[in-house]
Amino acid sequence: MIAEIDVRAVLSRSMCEFHSDLVTRATGRAVRSGIEAHLQEHPDVTVVVLDFSEVRVLDCSCADEVVAQLLMRTAGGRDRAVYFVVRGLAEAHADQIDDVLRRHGLALVGEERGGGTRLLGFVTDLMRAVWEQVVRAGSARPEDLAAELAWPVDEMHRALAQLAERRLVIPAADRHYLPLTAA
Amino acid sequence: MTAVVEVPASFDDRSFEAFAAALAAQDGTGRVLVDAHATEWASPFGLVGLLCAGRALAQRGGGKPLLTVPADADVARYWAHTGFFEQAEPLFEIHGAVPKRQPAETTVLLEVTPVAVAGDVHRVVDRIQTRSAAILDAELGLDAKATIGFGMALSEACQNIVEHAGTGGWVAVHAYTWRRRLGRRVVVIAVGDAGVGFRHTLEATQARRYGDRWSDATALEAALIHGISKYRDPGRGQGLRGIRMWAERWKAKLSIRSGTGRIVRVPDWDEDVPLADGLPPFPGAQLQLVVPGTVREER
Repeated sequence: MIAEIDVRAVLSRSMCEFHSDLVTRATGRAVRSGIEAHLQEHPDVTVVVLDFSEVRVLDCSCADEVVAQLLMRTAGGRDRAVYFVVRGLAEAHADQIDDVLRRHGLALVGEERGGGTRLLGFVTDLMRAVWEQVVRAGSARPEDLAAELAWPVDEMHRALAQLAERRLVIPAADRHYLPLTAA
Repeated sequence: MTAVVEVPASFDDRSFEAFAAALAAQDGTGRVLVDAHATEWASPFGLVGLLCAGRALAQRGGGKPLLTVPADADVARYWAHTGFFEQAEPLFEIHGAVPKRQPAETTVLLEVTPVAVAGDVHRVVDRIQTRSAAILDAELGLDAKATIGFGMALSEACQNIVEHAGTGGWVAVHAYTWRRRLGRRVVVIAVGDAGVGFRHTLEATQARRYGDRWSDATALEAALIHGISKYRDPGRGQGLRGIRMWAERWKAKLSIRSGTGRIVRVPDWDEDVPLADGLPPFPGAQLQLVVPGTVREER
């Protein structure tokens, strides 16, 4: 099940005030707690789309608390794998999130306001190339991707397994991998 | 006996050192008069620095410090416009006629505003984004992306006070023309406090690592260049780094003074010393960000 969370709405609820700016570490913690509470209340959710469309300013501290800390705290969940996507990002937001994720060695799928989708954070060039190919194909098997990119099949298996482990693609039936996009 | 500390005629980050030296020369036993009667101009950095001095003097004892209002009526009126006297009133015994505060001029993008808790940071950012984004765009050519970054930089600078100073501080943002130094419009952000300073904040985790080199200057270097925070979490210490990166992108000048040290990210349009140590001691930390206009044409 997919859950779409309006981050600005969580911010307003958390602060008990109308705000559009995701600033300060304290605010970031409050917003992250709100998102985590939502996930606890909905154990069937496996894909979470965090919508930043209505957010105006996002500072580094808040990006770290809301996005990076959320990824780290849910990464070890054994009972269910939760996939995160961020959407509605202004270019400046994408830059902030990209930077904080790199510091932690994390990555996630981001969709900018213009509609472009890209990986934010730290991934190898190989992983990025494979991910882009999966997005283009819509669904792909390692063998097909290896043939398209002229890479060894075992290398492609490894790259896809790493992407899946980092929850950037979804492993599906018949050894297919699905792209994780906000669409 | 009352000692006199003169405020420079033109009071900004460059003349600040003379003021800090005069302040440091006080032995802390007597009352201090901060004399601004001959002051003809003060930047946001100067105004915030005066408030930091007021708080530090009040904390060191010797009675509430005195402050004379600039004799020039236009200067005093401008200081009133900036909201300076409202913040100075609890810190100083003010001598001279304080003009009634009129609605702020458009050059004052953010009045001298106290910052102590996270809610203050929200109000500061909201104020800039709501009231001043159009000015940043029209007068300085800072587009929406730069303005969002401007809010981020402002937020992170203010959070340094909330998270590390151990006391409240102030922020002010003004726009004006630097005719001689740059020949164009600039926006100047000044954020300052009279708190514990960078060296104290990082002492427990960094002093041993730096050994004999440990100082206010190396503490600033650790924080700004290496993104080191008092916390071990790699997610911490990103705020100043974020400001530095934004400053690099928009060719802004970033300087931070703390204790006896000062670090500067020097843009190509300026000549300043990147790292200075052994300056006159001044409490807390004072940050200044100078953002040049007409950025749009330069991209």
